[in-house]
Amino acid sequence: MSSSPSPANSANAGNGGQDLNLLHFLDKVRLAATGDAKEDEGEDSPTELNTINSAGGFLVVSPDKLSVKYTNMNLHGHDVGVVQANRPAPVKCLTYYFEIFVKDSGVKGQVAIGFTKESFKMRRQPGWEVNSCGYHGDDGFLYRGQGKGEPFGPKYTKDDTVGGGINYATQEFFFTKNGAIVGKIPKDIKGHLFPTVAVHSQNEEVLVNFGKKKFAFDITGYEVSERNKQQMAIEKISIPPNIGYGLVKTYLLHYGYEETLDAFNLATKTTVPPINIDQGNAIDEDDSSYALKQRKTLRQLVRNGEIDAAMVKLREWYPQTVQDDKSVVCFLLHCQHFIELVRVGKLEEGVKYGRLELAKFVGLTGFQDIIEDCFALLVYEKPEESPVGYFLEDSHKELVADAVNAAILSTNPNKRDVQKSCHLHSHLEKLLRQLTVCCLERRSLNGDQGETFRLHRILNNNSSRR
Amino acid sequence: MSLFRIFVNQLEEDDEDMSQATSKKVITREEWEKKLNAVKLRKEDMNTLVMNFLVTEGYVEAAEKFQRESGTKPEIDLATITDRMAVKKAVQNGNVEDAIEKVNDLNPEILDTNPELFFHLQQQRLIELIRQGRTEEALEFAQEELAPRGEENQAFLEELEKTVALLVFEDASTCPVKELLDISHRLKTASEVNAAILTSQSHEKDPKLPSLLKMLIWAQNQLDEKAVYPHINDLSTGQLEDPSV
Repeated sequence: MSSSPSPANSANAGNGGQDLNLLHFLDKVRLAATGDAKEDEGEDSPTELNTINSAGGFLVVSPDKLSVKYTNMNLHGHDVGVVQANRPAPVKCLTYYFEIFVKDSGVKGQVAIGFTKESFKMRRQPGWEVNSCGYHGDDGFLYRGQGKGEPFGPKYTKDDTVGGGINYATQEFFFTKNGAIVGKIPKDIKGHLFPTVAVHSQNEEVLVNFGKKKFAFDITGYEVSERNKQQMAIEKISIPPNIGYGLVKTYLLHYGYEETLDAFNLATKTTVPPINIDQGNAIDEDDSSYALKQRKTLRQLVRNGEIDAAMVKLREWYPQTVQDDKSVVCFLLHCQHFIELVRVGKLEEGVKYGRLELAKFVGLTGFQDIIEDCFALLVYEKPEESPVGYFLEDSHKELVADAVNAAILSTNPNKRDVQKSCHLHSHLEKLLRQLTVCCLERRSLNGDQGETFRLHRILNNNSSRR
Repeated sequence: MSLFRIFVNQLEEDDEDMSQATSKKVITREEWEKKLNAVKLRKEDMNTLVMNFLVTEGYVEAAEKFQRESGTKPEIDLATITDRMAVKKAVQNGNVEDAIEKVNDLNPEILDTNPELFFHLQQQRLIELIRQGRTEEALEFAQEELAPRGEENQAFLEELEKTVALLVFEDASTCPVKELLDISHRLKTASEVNAAILTSQSHEKDPKLPSLLKMLIWAQNQLDEKAVYPHINDLSTGQLEDPSV
């Protein structure tokens, strides 16, 4: 591990090449601006009943679009009062679920709950036509496309709460009655499905709950237990022993968390039995301990807000990283300096600094949007609570420190150009990316339905479920 | 069957095989790398994963330093880790009485609600007495503390009998149950008590990282059914390997 800076190597002095690898840090800033959209797959859920596409003549939907009443005289099988939700069920999640409450079972109690496609004939019970399914209250049968259904569950009537759901992982429909699962069947209908409710005899009335109120059935608990089932199958897979330790070590090396690394190394050596994580090959090949001390120092300076000192050190040790004053590293550091001034309320000084060092980025594509957002900090009395407050958060400091870290790593003369792009990601990150893409690809090849891997969700799983 | 017919049948079979093989989607390395780079992974989440590892394994100093160097907050009070590690260490060193005292100081409910754990700790205590050659004490301890437990529970009784068998052999290395004297048994008991403490603190007893690695293998296996794409076969390097077409 060298303590003196490496000589400027003509191969990596070209900022173009180095910057290409650092541009993604700017994208990360933009990502923070959009609020991450952690769980949002961009799908809207059903919220109410669709009054336009419904069996208009046979039923009446309430003004709040959450209940329906049969107004016709039931004379035959083609005057069902059926209504769909205003949107199809979202598919990029583990389950979809909704409930109905039978307020009045009318003359014949022919209420039904189920799922249908957009093209459904709005005069028939769900399940009486192909590509639809319905759980009927009068006989407790499950109908899925043939005229006659099959025995499925209990009948249901006035004051019962009945739920219909889709499990995208197992590709099944499931139904509940008064909080308990009644049964499930394979879902062999493809594409988007609309939650559907039907009434068919005089005075039947049904209320619908698309999630605004608490469900009778514990859908969250159901999802947890379904995830657990999959998890149990996964736990049986075997992995090399102690591999976690090696990955944590290379992660710490990659980002320059030197003090943590030292404590970690010490701890693993003194455990009983001692854990040997010096898997020689993996670590040496990547030379991840290159400039470890320097990277640690720079990270500390950035985190402490000592940006001037950080720039001085960079100029001294790795001049090629700050040679071009319009490089990504310089941009992020200048911004951070500005941010630190705003943080302590030195707005006038901030403006001065902005004029001096940040003005040159205005008008430059690639920087313009970020610099404008950054300047916006000046406008708010409480910038940390503003829409651009993310600049003041700890996570942004980490981002800048990571960019500096990456820039220093790229000065390693021992790295072949081809390998240079490897320094973008630590081994751990590569594994997590691979996991994400595999899950996404698998979902997309499975009709694009179901959950995908989200690190954030795994991390926030309530551990007390054990 | 005529030769001609056989030939045609074979061709048809080959056709089917071909369509089976090519029905998998082929994803080139370039396409795959584009997808990899498009993944939005938050640094904070990765830091949290590492912190979870440090905390669950009980590396207090490392967790503290990591908090300082990265700003990541540990998910449980670090002081509780120190306490937990002290218990674990005591068992690993054979100081079971000390360990039991510490566990009760930490949370008396742990042993109250974990009869199996308590029995194993007492059993370990017996093993240590036997190891030290304190035969009389060992017998007394077995009679007073462990025999009553054995009466309540068949499994405990069997364990107790195995342990007492150690006393019968002058040279422990010839005893069929000598693995009880092995240090690995101490580690096993230490692990058990570590897990119980974590659970009592509503914390998962295992770090999340190994599960994610298993999930990766599982995900690749699942995707193999439908696609041909670059794999990661060496978990320690994360090196991408081209699909073997």
